[in-house]
Amino acid sequence: MDVNEAQLISRCQQGDQEALKEIFNQYHQKVFRIAYGVVRQREEALDIAQEVFIKLFRSIHQFQGRSRFYTYLYRMTMNTAIDHTRKMKKAPSLSMDQEEGFQLSDDAERRPDRILDHKELEARVKWAMDQLSPDQKAVLIFREVEGLSYQEIAEATGSSIGTVMSRLHYGRKKVQELLKDYVEGGR
Amino acid sequence: MWKGGGRMKSECSSVSKLLDKYFDQEVTPEERSLVEGHLPDCSACRMALDSMQNLRILIKNPVEEAVGKENFPWVWEKIEKGIQRKERLGLWDFLKSWLDVTPLLKRKILIPAVAAAVILILITAPLLYKKISSYPVQSVVEYVESETYNVMVYELETPQVTVIWLFEGLEEESSTS
Repeated sequence: MDVNEAQLISRCQQGDQEALKEIFNQYHQKVFRIAYGVVRQREEALDIAQEVFIKLFRSIHQFQGRSRFYTYLYRMTMNTAIDHTRKMKKAPSLSMDQEEGFQLSDDAERRPDRILDHKELEARVKWAMDQLSPDQKAVLIFREVEGLSYQEIAEATGSSIGTVMSRLHYGRKKVQELLKDYVEGGR
Repeated sequence: MWKGGGRMKSECSSVSKLLDKYFDQEVTPEERSLVEGHLPDCSACRMALDSMQNLRILIKNPVEEAVGKENFPWVWEKIEKGIQRKERLGLWDFLKSWLDVTPLLKRKILIPAVAAAVILILITAPLLYKKISSYPVQSVVEYVESETYNVMVYELETPQVTVIWLFEGLEEESSTS
């Protein structure tokens, strides 16, 4: 952690909201990206980002500097986003039959080679990601969306590098299988 | 040919385990050489890498688009208001948190906690009952009669006390001989 960041965190721990604003300016995009990676929906991602920074301000006194600050923030973001999806699952949402899988519209079924409408494709990607365990989803998003290294992911998830690699491998495999019509290439 | 096929299969088996690491640029130089030496001859491994790349595009691109469109300063205003609102509710939240058993339910410790409390009550109740029993057990130990005094000795169990009662003897009867 550089000196400036350490000072910012210290000020924030003392209740300085201006310090929180500076932290927000540095990290809001990263937080939004992770949140969006989980929920794949703009309004929910913004709600999550807002909640994360409020939580951060209330709990930053617990941060003791044993890990890097951004991994602490990423872990908070991921936990908040996953909790949010759990709450949303209890509410009625899109009518997807999870046992049978994502149902294509009739139009797409008649034209399988048609590129799906953007929203429909996004919904399918979200559905596929939702089939993963929270641990697999977290690792996949940290890697694919945020480009964290295995070491950084291990720190952010509180697990070993071996566990990260295993979750990543099986998470990718599962999502690839669910989205095989869209990911299988060939040369 | 067969040997070549067998060697290829064995190499593919080793390389396929490294593909994720290679794709994520987490391989050692030796591992990189092994993978890159194998790829030109193996369409299956090349296709696997293509799938990973396509998956990454599917997951990442919409996120990048969303970030690009977003205007964040208004998010900060909401955060500020949220912090002020939470500060006002602080005391109320504090009281609620004391009364709220939801975390216990969420953590699934309510049932074990209740079970432990019941077991504790069942174990300690007989001991407490014994301890607070208000009537000490009396046991007559000895009764001694003599011409002048009759003595009765009580020894109580709880508390451990010895009580000696002296009774004056009966009046002498006039004797007739």
